[in-house]
Amino acid sequence: MRRPELLLPGVALAVAVVLAALGVMVVTAQESAVLVKFINGSLPVDPASPLWPKPADVPLTSQTLVYPLAPAVENRAVSVSAVYNGTHIAFLLTWKDATQDVAKPGGLDVFPDAVAVQFPVSRAQLPYICMGTVDNPVNIIYWRAGVGVENLVAGAGYGLSPQQREALGLQTTPTSPVELLPDSAQVVQAYAVYKDGAWYVVLVRPLGSVHPLMSSLADDFSAAFATWDGSKGERGGLKATSGWVQFHLERPIFAATQPTQPAPTATQTSATTVTQTYVVETTPAWAWVVIGVLVALLAVVAGLALRRK
Amino acid sequence: MKVRAQISMAMNLDKCLGCNTCTVTCKNVWTNRQGAEYMWWNNVETRPGPGYPRQWENQDKHNGGWVLDGGKLKLRIEIKKDYKPPGLDDYYEPWTYEYEVLFSEKQTDQQPVARPISLIDGRPMDVSNGPNWNDDLAGTDLLLEDPNLDPLQKSIYTQFKDVFMMYLPRICNHCLNPSCLAACPRKAIYKREEDGIVLVDQSRCRGYRYCVAACPYKKVYYNWKTGKSEKCILCYPRIEAGQPPVCALTCVGKIRYVGVLLYDADKVLDVAAEPDPTRLMRRFIDEVLLDPFDPDVISAARSAGIPDDWITAAQRSPVYKMVKKWQVAFPLHPEFRTLPMIFYVPPLSPVVTTFEQAYGAKITDVFPRVSELRIPVKYLASMFTAGDTALVEQALKKLIAVRIYERSKNVTEPGLADKAKQALAEAGLTEQDAEEMYRLFAIARYEDRFVIPTNPKRYANQPQLQRGVAGLP
Ligand code: SF4
Ligand code: SF4
Repeated sequence: MRRPELLLPGVALAVAVVLAALGVMVVTAQESAVLVKFINGSLPVDPASPLWPKPADVPLTSQTLVYPLAPAVENRAVSVSAVYNGTHIAFLLTWKDATQDVAKPGGLDVFPDAVAVQFPVSRAQLPYICMGTVDNPVNIIYWRAGVGVENLVAGAGYGLSPQQREALGLQTTPTSPVELLPDSAQVVQAYAVYKDGAWYVVLVRPLGSVHPLMSSLADDFSAAFATWDGSKGERGGLKATSGWVQFHLERPIFAATQPTQPAPTATQTSATTVTQTYVVETTPAWAWVVIGVLVALLAVVAGLALRRK
Repeated sequence: MKVRAQISMAMNLDKCLGCNTCTVTCKNVWTNRQGAEYMWWNNVETRPGPGYPRQWENQDKHNGGWVLDGGKLKLRIEIKKDYKPPGLDDYYEPWTYEYEVLFSEKQTDQQPVARPISLIDGRPMDVSNGPNWNDDLAGTDLLLEDPNLDPLQKSIYTQFKDVFMMYLPRICNHCLNPSCLAACPRKAIYKREEDGIVLVDQSRCRGYRYCVAACPYKKVYYNWKTGKSEKCILCYPRIEAGQPPVCALTCVGKIRYVGVLLYDADKVLDVAAEPDPTRLMRRFIDEVLLDPFDPDVISAARSAGIPDDWITAAQRSPVYKMVKKWQVAFPLHPEFRTLPMIFYVPPLSPVVTTFEQAYGAKITDVFPRVSELRIPVKYLASMFTAGDTALVEQALKKLIAVRIYERSKNVTEPGLADKAKQALAEAGLTEQDAEEMYRLFAIARYEDRFVIPTNPKRYANQPQLQRGVAGLP
């Protein structure tokens, strides 16, 4: 009768160690930071503009968690570069897609190609990567070919009272974990080009936030990406997504609020920043250890109870 | 036993004129909008034919409904992943005519012509397909696409003297095990607890079109303008007020009957997963649909919160009588496993014939025998009973027996009364049944055809929170 007593805490400890290791892995598997270049003047909306910095490749994988699952798990990537000025920030997203699928009148069987960028609303802790949670929502920019661009919030809906929701300009009762922000927050512009088997999409939005559920990007931030390949029937949950990617705002020497200064070209940050790895707090490793110890304690108690019988 | 009540419809196909009044009233009330032009929530198909959308019954092509996978129900779209929902080619490009030309054209030798223009983008177009194309001379080559015709029938069909036809009006079946609902990852489709109406919540729908592909009847349509899917709503605002849906109200042939059916929600999944489709069909009627006169059913219905006026309505329901009591009405393609709740009385037509030679069959009397009917029983069985010809034969026998009985009351002919008695006995009907069937099928008044209790909204306990959602104003 001594065996189970030893066995249970043993197993629990092993689980704890594995979880802790996984936790550390999750934390260290972050992308290196992408530098957001400062531009003193208007931001480029043409993907071919020479103003865009060298892009970073962000790997994407098909989601395999919830129905409907992708026909095949495949690996894709989206190239990301970003620039900002005193008021706005622009992203250039480029990805390969052999077929151009654009929503059109009467296009009953057309699923448009699409791309989305997701930002944490709060800066305290990174939200759950799969579109946030009730207490830690995400702000999403969603562009679809032939449809246009939307500024959305995901996760927040079911955590708010009808009064709070009305105050935020949302429908009284949430109908979806992903919701359109009110008209006043539809402040994102998109410029898209399809050329030589690839999409080039420029997304421009204010640097700051115009709604409590919209992220401010005025300081270093994280973002995650997703693309949809319409010709494969991808829509909704059928998509390829990335992990969180760190973005670092290049600091201008002259404050952006001083328009009389000559265009600043020198910057404080050096190119080495790009390769610097940022440790990101997801669920931290120590939390997994605490969980493991708690599980072990429970197991000991259970073992004792068993022995009494 | 978990008793639920559903508003359900039965259509007596013998009386359908194919006039499409139902279709047009439905269109004028619900789908007379941009993005919805090609939608026919109600359509009437001339069969044999490919139906609308083209070949909707061919699930190898359209991937609708459920299949058994290791004894478990699975959506066909879950198994075959590289499907596409139907495109405009499978429906048709809706069009109008450029009528303006008739007024604005300058006077010339030629009459002005109003050319067809697309309702989608206004460009001039050639009409090459339509919602009932095989009804037109242009579309006769599509007739043999009908999946219910087996190869033998196809060859018979091409012999002109054996040609047969019937009309098949179709709406959403408001199924008990709706595959449209199951396919939606956004949970935008729901079946109303109080009356079983299946609805697409427009505020939840994101236009993914899983439902469009998954409905084996192709009764969810994608609106390209709103980017959301829509379907027949069984005119629920009218139903809630005790009124029949407009298709049923305006039906010229008075073929449509609307009433309450009680069913056992606990049995639905079990029966839908019955391996043998013909057994599934029988168990659907016998086990899932309940007898509203059975005291156990009544008490279970009461404890499930079904109001007394709904239980009384279920007892008076014309649909209950046709489907369960006399068993002369059947669901459309029960083998799709969605347990559809719109029922059809199979047609006898043409019933009276004296042209023995022309029809090839041995005509033995004024009313033919079931085996002498022009529409092959096998064809009907393929549509309505998962191929069980015995069920269709039994129903047709009853319908003929009622006619023989009625004739015997009005015609003095030696031996006719005995013949009527014998026909009723063979069909398993009493004289009282025959009388009741005659009244309901032939001369029913409005209040006999439509027995619809008003909707007390008994499940909407927090209307203030549901404001603006799911049909609450
Ligand atoms: S017939 Fe209606 S309820 Fe049944 S699966 Fe199709 S759309 Fe859904
Ligand atoms: S209105 Fe009635 S008779 Fe006319 S086509 Fe429709 S169902 Fe048939």
